[in-house]
Amino acid sequence: MGEKVLEIENLVKRYQELVALDHLNLSIEKGEVFGLLGPNGCGKTTAISCILALLTFDKGSVKVFGKEIQPDSYDIKKQIGVVLQNVAVFDELTVQENIDYFCGLYIKDKATRKQYVEEAIEFSGLEQFRKFYPKKLSGGLLRRLNIACGIAHKPKLIILDEPTVAVDPQSRNKILEGIERLNREGATVIYTSHYMEEVEQICSRIAILDHGHCIASGTKEELKAMIKTGEKIHVEATGVTKEQLEQIKALSHVYQVEYQNDRLDIKCNGGKHNLVQVLDLLQKQEINFGRVYSELPTLNDVFLEITGTELRDSVEG
Amino acid sequence: MFGRIYKYSFLQCVRDRYVFFWCLLFPIILGTLFKVSFGDVNEKEMTFHQISVAYLEGEGARMEFKELLTQLEKEEKLVKIIEVKDEQEAKKLLKEEEITGIYKNDTEISLMVKEESIATSILKSIEDQYNQTMEAFQNIAMSHPDKIELASKVASGTRSFLKESNITEGKMDMYTNYFYALIAMNCLYGCFVGLTISKNFKANLSDIAARILAASTNRFVVLLADVAAKISAQTLCTIIGACYLKYVLKVDIGDKYIGMFVIILLGCSIGVMLGAFMGAIGKLDEGVRQGMAAGVSMFSCFLSGLMAGDMYQIIEQHAPIVNRINPASLVVNSFYSLNIYENNTKYFQSIGLLLGISVILFVSAFLMLRRERYASL
Repeated sequence: MGEKVLEIENLVKRYQELVALDHLNLSIEKGEVFGLLGPNGCGKTTAISCILALLTFDKGSVKVFGKEIQPDSYDIKKQIGVVLQNVAVFDELTVQENIDYFCGLYIKDKATRKQYVEEAIEFSGLEQFRKFYPKKLSGGLLRRLNIACGIAHKPKLIILDEPTVAVDPQSRNKILEGIERLNREGATVIYTSHYMEEVEQICSRIAILDHGHCIASGTKEELKAMIKTGEKIHVEATGVTKEQLEQIKALSHVYQVEYQNDRLDIKCNGGKHNLVQVLDLLQKQEINFGRVYSELPTLNDVFLEITGTELRDSVEG
Repeated sequence: MFGRIYKYSFLQCVRDRYVFFWCLLFPIILGTLFKVSFGDVNEKEMTFHQISVAYLEGEGARMEFKELLTQLEKEEKLVKIIEVKDEQEAKKLLKEEEITGIYKNDTEISLMVKEESIATSILKSIEDQYNQTMEAFQNIAMSHPDKIELASKVASGTRSFLKESNITEGKMDMYTNYFYALIAMNCLYGCFVGLTISKNFKANLSDIAARILAASTNRFVVLLADVAAKISAQTLCTIIGACYLKYVLKVDIGDKYIGMFVIILLGCSIGVMLGAFMGAIGKLDEGVRQGMAAGVSMFSCFLSGLMAGDMYQIIEQHAPIVNRINPASLVVNSFYSLNIYENNTKYFQSIGLLLGISVILFVSAFLMLRRERYASL
């Protein structure tokens, strides 16, 4: 078992009648990129505020690097970098000055700080914008500045709270690549998002939060293995009879078949080569079919199957 | 650490357009408008005119009084005696405001005036002084006739009281008070700068505050550096405004620079800390806080005489305590005391009160900003 960077035990946070965190348990090891996935209002940001000792909580404990974190735990805080959901920089300071200001809250030595600031500017690709004021930056560049301010002091634990909200695809990719690079350089990352694709792309382990508690956690493979849905096959086909549908349903691993508007939706629970056996059957039965595609289960499927609602729906709602 | 945070906080202030307008540009514009409004009036007021007075003599007239008036007319240039035929003509001139008063020299000296003013006060003081001196002479002549010569010397010294024993060493300019009130307003506009302090230290108000509180620097080091930078920036703005009044508009606000600097520094400290205090109250909208800051600072300045010059005196007569606790009034009074009175006692009293208010506001803001963890963000 690796070194524990963060341990949250039975964390309870209430806002009067609303339970924001309901006996939350999390454990994150060194070197992980840990994803906290869940819809808006599920408790991700509240959990982060508790980790940073900004928020009081009703019950439980939060240990960072093996020690209970308190507002004056400066030795622990020195090893934490935080990138909050909203851009938190000073409008009156330039890009370089902002990074220097926030880096300086951790690094006292002038020469070291200067070097770290330069590295953060290079890391975030803001070399050409170092003299720019934040208001002159695009949304994507602003997000990159927000990240640079959070990671310039080279923390061992980096907490990123939805850092890609309202960011263009190019900047999003740049941000995600940067996070992977930070992880390769040794940082443990906690990444919260309601974008499951991002979480799937960069996180080595994921916890899915809903209504303040962790409903599932593990690697993405482990999470997907928790649910019945293994593979979904969609076929555009005409004139499929009831008998033929029964034959498809009788195939091994197929547990659900639906036929509507000349479209076959076949759900399989695990197994390999499901698509091949479905296509074999369609040919044998001389069913006319056109476009065929298959998809593996997503984290949305995991969320859907566990909670009964779509992750996206919850986000919208 | 402190120096770097101070530097960046100072830069934030001086680059903030909102601060630039309200704390530097607006007072300069207002000062210019004041000067345009008061400029001519002021110059006219500053030229002293001899006080016109009619003189009537009765059968029992005292010649010493006539001699005194002649001397005050020819040597002191204080009064101008208008020749009149009779009392009726004198009263007519008084009614038409051609003269300020009528001296009637008979068995006793009397003065008739139309309304109270500085000029009539001077005429009254001449009459009083004469009566007191004569009474003293009579007493001495009766009790100690041998000391009459000495009394005469004392009396001649007393007569010059009007000219020499002025309680001020500075110029008496009623419009300068408006400019002192303007400087007070400039100081108190530091509350707009002070509002940003709480924004940087209350995690339930801004993400920047959350980021600062999540860092490994002691929050109070950051707070002190931020407060010091903001007071410095506001003091700089106010000094620039005061220099503009003195050197560009040529308003005589005094030349005791160290004393003036202390007043401005303390006034700005109060302004900034007042803003920090208002910013730390609850979870109000930023617009509401700015409205509060504007309202409190302007009301304070109103009471100090920014809009009505005699407001300070009215309050001094009816509720003097308000002038002792109103920061703008204290700033105005400090400037006035520094530049008008020879004795610095009143200046130091006002400075002491300013310092006391500044400390109270700092401690209050500190207590409100000291919270480390929040129940909700």
